[in-house]
Amino acid sequence: MKILVPIKRVSDPDNANKVKVSAAGKIETTGLENKPNPFDEYAVETALRLTENGTNPKARLGEVVIVTFGPKDTETTLRGLLATGADRAIRVDVTDDQLDGDILARALKAIVEKEQPDVVLLGKQAVDGDSNQVAQLLAEYLGWPQATFAGSIKSDADKALVIGREVDGGTLNVKVTLPAVVSVDLRIVAPTSVTSMHTPATHKYADGVRFAALMAIMAAKKKPLVEMKLADLTGDVGLKITYKGAELPPARKAGVKVKNVQELVSKLKNEAKAL
Amino acid sequence: MPSQVPEAFLARARELLPADTITLDPAELTEYGRDWTKVYAPAPGAVAFPRTTAEVSTLMRLATELHVPVVPSGGRTGLAGGAVAARGELVLSLARMRRMDAVDTLGAAVRVQAGAVTQAVHQHCEPHGLTWPVDFASKGSSHVGGNIATNAGGVKVIRYGLTRNWVLGLEVVLANGDILDLNGSLEKNNTGVDLRQLFIGSEGTLGIVTEATLKLTRIPEKLDVFLFAVKNLAAVIALFRETRQGPFTVSAYEFFTDACLARLLRHRKARAPFDAPSSHYVLLEVESADIQTLEMWTASLFERGLVDDGVLAQHSTQAAELWTLREGISESLSATGLPHKNDIALPIANLEAFTSELGGFFASRYPDWEICLFGHIGDGNLHVNVMKPDALDKETFLKRTKEADHEIFALVKKHAGSISAEHGIGLLKRDYLSYSRTPSELSVLRTLKRALDPANIMNPGKILEI
Repeated sequence: MKILVPIKRVSDPDNANKVKVSAAGKIETTGLENKPNPFDEYAVETALRLTENGTNPKARLGEVVIVTFGPKDTETTLRGLLATGADRAIRVDVTDDQLDGDILARALKAIVEKEQPDVVLLGKQAVDGDSNQVAQLLAEYLGWPQATFAGSIKSDADKALVIGREVDGGTLNVKVTLPAVVSVDLRIVAPTSVTSMHTPATHKYADGVRFAALMAIMAAKKKPLVEMKLADLTGDVGLKITYKGAELPPARKAGVKVKNVQELVSKLKNEAKAL
Repeated sequence: MPSQVPEAFLARARELLPADTITLDPAELTEYGRDWTKVYAPAPGAVAFPRTTAEVSTLMRLATELHVPVVPSGGRTGLAGGAVAARGELVLSLARMRRMDAVDTLGAAVRVQAGAVTQAVHQHCEPHGLTWPVDFASKGSSHVGGNIATNAGGVKVIRYGLTRNWVLGLEVVLANGDILDLNGSLEKNNTGVDLRQLFIGSEGTLGIVTEATLKLTRIPEKLDVFLFAVKNLAAVIALFRETRQGPFTVSAYEFFTDACLARLLRHRKARAPFDAPSSHYVLLEVESADIQTLEMWTASLFERGLVDDGVLAQHSTQAAELWTLREGISESLSATGLPHKNDIALPIANLEAFTSELGGFFASRYPDWEICLFGHIGDGNLHVNVMKPDALDKETFLKRTKEADHEIFALVKKHAGSISAEHGIGLLKRDYLSYSRTPSELSVLRTLKRALDPANIMNPGKILEI
């Protein structure tokens, strides 16, 4: 099976409290650490699990191609993911302000037509923009079936996938014939969430995303990484979504100390109107 | 134990101090009477929470006058019983004294009260690109005052040294209530005996640290965290030899065994780092290395067979995950059983010979004991944890570990080591102090103690019996 996984490099979501907004309403990311969007890391982990025998992960039994849209320095992110096991990488040379969900979906469509993957596997959303659009748009443009928010995936002889979708109040199981677009949710990296056709049913993965082994980091340097131009993928590079500005949430007011329960109740009742 | 805090003391304290300064609430007494050593039953007579240095001084003056023994208390994360109050003492907690002044970026220093939590100090300094490089697993609870009183070590000692090196000035309250202001914030001050150092590591037996000016250092720009799998302790030491000559500054070199990892994975959600288990693991953190050079260096480790497997954290979240594997051990051992802890230091040159003799000792004398070995091997510090076998009751287990300790410490002495690398002496190691200090040293220590605390009310019974 061949799987294409689009990746976004984001500013470390654990550093959200360090984000600054300039006077012009632009988000300042300087000084923040970069890392792959966590949901995209889960997508890579899922793709690897689908294309290997979990008891012998070193032997690749399929192909995982990762693609990112970003400047030259996002190649570090790609190399890191190649080190965890992905086979090749593509970087489309753009900056974030040249992109919106729609351009991404159209450019990815061109890449899909060229690469002919069986599955496009994406994180359900990027943790910076939280848009949650690309998977859905891409499926529409390709005319492929889609299954979003996958919490589990079971391969049916690599001809179809049975997806457990995370929905309100439970799981919705759907079967998609390949080729298809699948976006993954948090629980996809639990020990038995992914069932490939190569791994024994009894195998349990360690919870989470695999580390990059040192030897694999060296080997990843030699894995193919090609650069593409956005204009070569889509003729229309106009943005449909433009960001008007950003502002930080208002700072919280300082708390007050109350002397006794009576005062607390009184404040809850009269000031907070909570009672 | 009956309370040693008489009604007369409580009455005088009520006159001189705010009403909520002292509590006799049984829940508070239990909580504040113990530290992370779980072996002593807490039994303090009362707990005081002063808000200012002046209030600490008042309490001490009263304590001296009425002969009330006092146990100074910080975050109570100690592992040697230094903050244990089991004999009806007055616990003097600095928990309410947690003021932190503005960071002096020019002098790279910050003045804080003793009750400031270590991690809070780190967070306070971080926006200025500075940190107080005293760092260990319990930093979220431990207090600066406790760090100083115990001369705390931790995971960055190999890079920065002990707490002692990072204290510019101290304010100390003596047993009689006198307040000493030592050294201010001076980097250089060559005016005779440095009294500040007398109190650092004194475990509250000579005075109570109430404020300190901490020396800060720049936060390293980039840290890379590796985890290696190696065959045995000899390989851990061989790899250490390599890192000493590596193209970077080592900021941590830690090791742990499969027994520690197994207990950690049982206790908390964590990921086994490698597909195949290994008997020994090394966590290496390095500073400001160029990634190309770093990769060449690691490649050579594999080529020469120095490591069996290894991973490099790709970003800070993964680095934190790897650190959890090491820093979570102590907590996981306590959560999954009753560990008897020994925290010893050896000259690195003797480490291998020592551990091989120690292994032989356990194997021949206590073959069914589970030994969890980990530590900051980069500075010669070994944590030897013996887990209580299920078949043994607590009393028998403690009795037998006590016997074993004498032999372990004799071994430590033979290899020119220390019976307490960073946990201090407290109650737990008091009776073994002579394995690490000569009779003449002990005599000087007693003289100092008598001079500063003639009534023996400052944390009595800790470090040495007078």
